[in-house]
Amino acid sequence: MLTLGSLAFASPWLLTALAVLPVIWLLLRVTPPAPRRLNFPAIRILHLLTPKEETPARTPWWLVLLRLLIAALVILGLSEPLLNPSARLAGDGPVVIALDDTWAAAPRWEDRRRVLLRLIEDAEQQSRQVVLLTTSEGVDEARRSSGVVRPTDARALVQAMEPRPWGPDMAATAAALDKLQLPSAGATAYLVDGLDHGAGQVQLIERLQRLGRLTAHLPAPPQVARALMPPDGLSSDLVVGARRPIAGAEAEVAVRAIAGDGRLIAREAARFAADGIKTEVKFVLPTELRNQVQRLEIENEPSAAAVVLLDERWRRRPVGLIGPTQFDASQPLLDELHYLDKALAPFAEVRRGPVAELLKRELAVILLPDAGALPPADKAQLAPWIEAGGVLMRFAGPKLANAEDDLVPVKLRKGDRALGGALSWNRPQPLAPFETASPFAGLAVPTDVTVQRQVLAQPGLELNERTWARLADGTPIVTGERRGLGWNVLVHTTAIPTWSNLPMSGLFVDMLRRVVALSQGVTGSVSTQPLPPIETLDGFGRITAPPPSAVALVGDARVGSRNPPGFYGTESARRALNLGPFVADAAALTQIPNGVTRASYAIGEETVLKPHLLTAALLLLLIDIVIGLVLRGLMPGRVAAARAAIALLALLPIAAEAQTRNPPSRANAVDAFALEGTLNVRLAYVITGDARTDETSRLGLEGLTHILQRRTAIEPDGPLGVDVEADELAFFALIYWPMTQSQAMPSPSAMQRLNTYLKNSGTIVFDTRDAGEIVVDPFAGGPGAQKLREIARGLSIPALVPAPPEHVLTKAFYLLNDFPGRFASGQLWVEATRAQGEDEVSSVILGSNDWAGAWASDAGGRALYAVVPGGEIQREMAFRFGVNLVMYALTGNYKADQVHVPAILERFGQ
Amino acid sequence: MQQRAEQLASILPPLMVSAQRVAATVAQGVHGRRRVGQGETFWQYRRYLPGDSVRSVDWRRSAKSDQVFVRETEWEAAQTVWLWRDTSASMRWRSRRDLPEKADRAEILLRALGLLLVGAGERIALLGESLPPTTGRTALLRLSHGLERPTAAPAGIPNFEPLPRHAELVLIGDLLAPLDEVQALVGKFVAKGVRGHLLQVLDPAEETLPFAGRVRFEGMEGEASALLPRVESLRTDYIDRMSEHREGLAHIARAAGWYFSCHHTDRSAESGLLALYGALARDRMN
Repeated sequence: MLTLGSLAFASPWLLTALAVLPVIWLLLRVTPPAPRRLNFPAIRILHLLTPKEETPARTPWWLVLLRLLIAALVILGLSEPLLNPSARLAGDGPVVIALDDTWAAAPRWEDRRRVLLRLIEDAEQQSRQVVLLTTSEGVDEARRSSGVVRPTDARALVQAMEPRPWGPDMAATAAALDKLQLPSAGATAYLVDGLDHGAGQVQLIERLQRLGRLTAHLPAPPQVARALMPPDGLSSDLVVGARRPIAGAEAEVAVRAIAGDGRLIAREAARFAADGIKTEVKFVLPTELRNQVQRLEIENEPSAAAVVLLDERWRRRPVGLIGPTQFDASQPLLDELHYLDKALAPFAEVRRGPVAELLKRELAVILLPDAGALPPADKAQLAPWIEAGGVLMRFAGPKLANAEDDLVPVKLRKGDRALGGALSWNRPQPLAPFETASPFAGLAVPTDVTVQRQVLAQPGLELNERTWARLADGTPIVTGERRGLGWNVLVHTTAIPTWSNLPMSGLFVDMLRRVVALSQGVTGSVSTQPLPPIETLDGFGRITAPPPSAVALVGDARVGSRNPPGFYGTESARRALNLGPFVADAAALTQIPNGVTRASYAIGEETVLKPHLLTAALLLLLIDIVIGLVLRGLMPGRVAAARAAIALLALLPIAAEAQTRNPPSRANAVDAFALEGTLNVRLAYVITGDARTDETSRLGLEGLTHILQRRTAIEPDGPLGVDVEADELAFFALIYWPMTQSQAMPSPSAMQRLNTYLKNSGTIVFDTRDAGEIVVDPFAGGPGAQKLREIARGLSIPALVPAPPEHVLTKAFYLLNDFPGRFASGQLWVEATRAQGEDEVSSVILGSNDWAGAWASDAGGRALYAVVPGGEIQREMAFRFGVNLVMYALTGNYKADQVHVPAILERFGQ
Repeated sequence: MQQRAEQLASILPPLMVSAQRVAATVAQGVHGRRRVGQGETFWQYRRYLPGDSVRSVDWRRSAKSDQVFVRETEWEAAQTVWLWRDTSASMRWRSRRDLPEKADRAEILLRALGLLLVGAGERIALLGESLPPTTGRTALLRLSHGLERPTAAPAGIPNFEPLPRHAELVLIGDLLAPLDEVQALVGKFVAKGVRGHLLQVLDPAEETLPFAGRVRFEGMEGEASALLPRVESLRTDYIDRMSEHREGLAHIARAAGWYFSCHHTDRSAESGLLALYGALARDRMN
C-alpha cells in the first residue's frame, strides 16, 4: 500500500506502467492514422499518378493526448487507488477508545460517531477487540466502560451513544480504565470534545498513552463548542453573552430567540473579534415579544450550552399601584397614578388596586403614591411581602409629610422642605450625580430636573448608606432599605409635578426601571424548597423529559447529571437552570503531551476509485472511437457524431437515475389517494369487504359516472373505493354504502371520522338492498336493515322521514315520482329537518332498492342484474334517480329555490 | 384514353417527370427544319409544275386564282437516333449529398433527349436493346422500359453494334475508359457511317480531387485500390491527367467528326441537354 496524503494505492507496482506512456506517445505519433476509405470512380487516373512523398499524415496531437489519457486512466485504475484510506492500527490487542460525551461534544456529534465507527471498523478488519470509554460525569461504571467487547457489540453501543448536557468526570474514567487491567492495547484513541478538562484529562491521556500509541482527535478551533450566557435581566433589552473557548479568526455567531411554542421571534448576529472569546448579542424587542421569548440558542450549534432557557425572572415584572382601580379620567394630570402608570408602561405590567387585592397575585414591585399612615391591615400584608423579596416604592407628598409612618426606609422629619419659594432665598435644587453604590449608578442626570419640595430624613447613622440619590446640596431624595429579601424605597418627593419636575423627566422612567430590575422577579420564587425537574435539555439542547438521574433542584446547585439544564419547579412557576454560566470559563485543549498523534475529525469515507477511473477510461474510449470514425469519414458527418456523443452522455444519468429510484412510500400512497380523490369529482363507495358487493358497487357507480358524463355537466372520474378505517372521507361529496351481512363493524375511530364527515356536510347513501327480500318480521326489517341498525348505533344520524313528494331529490335534474333501483318497492328516507349550514342537503339518504345493482353493467355495457319488477323503464328511472342524487349532493337546495323563479320573473317583468 | 393516360403516368418514374421538365425548357429554343420536304406542317404554296402529283394540288388555294398551286409542307424527314448511357457502377457515385449521382443525371439527360426527339418526330431506340427504332408514344414507353431494365453486363463504353447508315448515336457516360478503347469503338461506328455524340458526365470532385490526408481510394468496378498518403500533393497532377483524358476524348470525337461535350453534375441538367440537342439539331440541318 502506497499512501500519498489522502490517496493510497493498493497495487502500487502497477504504477510503474506509467513509464510506458512516453513510448505510447511515440508510437502513436509515428503510426499514421488509419486512412479514410473512399470510393472513387476515376481511380484509373489515380493509378496513373506516381505518389510524390510517402510522409504520412500525422495523427492530430489532441487525439494522441486523448489516447494517452485513456492509457493513464487504465493504469491508475488498475493500481486500485483508494481515497481516504483507513489507516492501520498500531500493535495488537484490544483497541481502547475514549470518547468525550460531554456537552461540548454535541456539535458535530456525527463526525465523532463516524470517527468512532471507523476506528471500530479498522479494529474489526484486524480482528481486534474494542474497549469503549466515555468521560461524562454521572454515569455508572457499567456504562462508562464497555469492557473488552467485540467490534460488532461496540458498534451497537456507539449507535446508542449520545452527548450529555453536562461536563466530564475524567478521574472516574481513568479509574474505570485502570479497573480493566489491560496489559497493553497497542493502539488507543481519544476523541476529545475540544475542551481542556484539567488534571483529570491529563491523567487519562497519560493512561491511554501508557497502554499504546495514542491518537487524539481534536476538533478544529472554530468547531469547538461555544456557550451562551443568560441575559442579566437588568436592562430592558435581552443582552446575551456568547463565549468561545478559544480565540481565533473573526467569526460570526447568530443567536435565535424562540418562543415557548417554537416560533422564531428574532435572530441577531454578533461577531467574535479576531482574538476575542466574548461577544454580546443584543435583542431589542418590544416588551410583548420579549416576554414570549423562552429560549435563546446559538444557531446551528446543537449543544446544551448553546441554549439559554428563560423563566419568569427575565419576564416583564408585574408592578402594582396602590390606589383606586379606576382612573379619575377627568383630570388625569392631577393624578399621581397617571404619571406612574405612564412611566411603567414601557417595561412593566401594571396592576392597580388596594393592597389586599394586589397581593392576591404575584407582584415584583408595589408603588405607593403619597399616602399618610397606612392602615394596619395593609401594613400587616406588605411587611411579609417585602421580607419575602418584594420591593415597595413610596412617594412622598403632603400626606406623608404630615403623617407618621414606620414603613419608610429612614426616619422622616415632620413637615417638608420648600426650596425656591417666594419667601425663600435658595433655589430649586437639581439632582447630584448618582453614587456608584446606588442602584441608579450610571444614569445620566439631566440638569433641568429640579426639586422644589421634599420631605427630609432624620440624620442618622444609617442614612448615608441608605441614600440612593441626593440633591445637589446633599440632602437625600431617594432612600432605600433592605428588609429581608426585599426593599423598601422612598422617593422624597411627589409622583406628580407639584413638588418636582422629576416625574416628567426621562430619568424618572429609568429610575423606575432600575427599581423594578432590582426586584426578584416574582417574589416568593426564590425559596429553599426543592424544585422538581419539569423538562430538561438533552446533550443536543433539545427539551426532553428529565433523565432518570435528575433530581430536584435545591438552592444554587451546579449543573450536572443530578441537575441537568432545563426547567425546574412547577408548571406555573418555572425556574430555568442554564449550563452556560457554569462553563463560561471553559478553555480549549491546545496542549497535548508529546508522543500523542494529533488527528482531526475531518475524515472522509474510504472511496475505491478503481471503477470510476475505468469508467472514465471507457467513456473516453467511446469518444475516441467516435472521433476515429469521423476522421476516417465513416460517420455520415460531424453533426451525426455530435449527436451520437450527446446521446451517449444523455443516457448515462438516465441509467444512474434508474438505479437510484426508490419505491414509493406509504406517505406517497396517502398523497396519491388524496390527489386521486380531489383532482376531479369522484363518486365513492364504502368497501364492505364482500368482494361481490364491492365489485357491484364499483361497476354500479361506474355506470352512473358514465351516465353523468353523457347527460349532465358533472364529469366525474371513475369511482373510488373508500376504506372507512383508513382513508380520508372529506374528499367526497357523496359516499354510497351498501349493507352486507359479512361487513365488519367500523371501529370507534372510524365511527368518529364518519360522524365528522356527516357533520361537515358529507352525504352517505345507505342502501340496505333488501327491498326484494321476504321479510318475516316487518318491524325488524330485512337483514340489511338490521345490519344498518347495528352500524348506525354509533353514528349520529338525525331523525329521518320518508322522502316527501316535493323533496328536491324529485326534481334535482329529472322529475321523478319514485326512486327505483333494482327493486322499486323500497322506501327512501331523508333527513327530517334540513340543516341550514349544510345547503339543506340531507346528510343521510337511506333506502333499500339496491341502486348499484341497477346501475351496474359489464364491460360491454350489458346490465348485470335484472331489475324487479322489470323493464328498461325501471332501469332508466334508476339511472335518473342516480343523476338526481349526485346533483342533489353537489348542488344542494339550488333546485328547491327554483320554486321561487316564477315570482322573481314576475317581479322583473314589471 | 383517360385510362391509358393514367397508366402511362403511373409507370413514369419521377425521373421521367424531371426529364419532361428539362425537355420542355429546351424545346422552346429549337426550331424546325425550314425547308421544303415531306411533313405535315404547311410550308409554302408553289406554282404547279409539270410532274407534280395531282394529289399535291391545293384546290382551295387554286380556286382563288387562275393559277394552280401546289401545297408544299416543311420537310420533316424522320431520323433514327440511337441512345446509350453508361450504367456501370462507377456512375452510381456522387461526391456530395446535394449532388445527383452521375447515373441519375445521365438518365435524366437521356430521357429528356428522348422526349425532345420523339416530340420532333424522330425515331429513337436504346443501343443494345435490339429493338427497332420507333417514334411516338411507343418509343417513349420502350425507352422507359429499357431504362428501367437492368443491363446485363454494364460497361464503361457500349459494345459495337452494326447500326444502319446515317444513324445517329448519342453516348452519355463518364467515359473514363482508356482512350484507345474509346478510339476503337468510335472507329468502328465511323466505319459504318454512323455519326455520334459523346457527352461526358462527371462529378465535380472527379475534376478537382478535393480530398486531403491519407486516403485509400477504392475502385467501383473491381479495380485495385490506391492508398495515397497525401492526396493534396497529387491534386495538380490529377487535374492535369484528367484534362489530358478529356482532350483525348475531344480529339477522338473531332477526328471522327463527332460531337463531344462535358457535363458536370453540379450544373443544371438543362445546360447539358441544350448543348447536346443543339448539336443534334445542327447535325440534321446540314
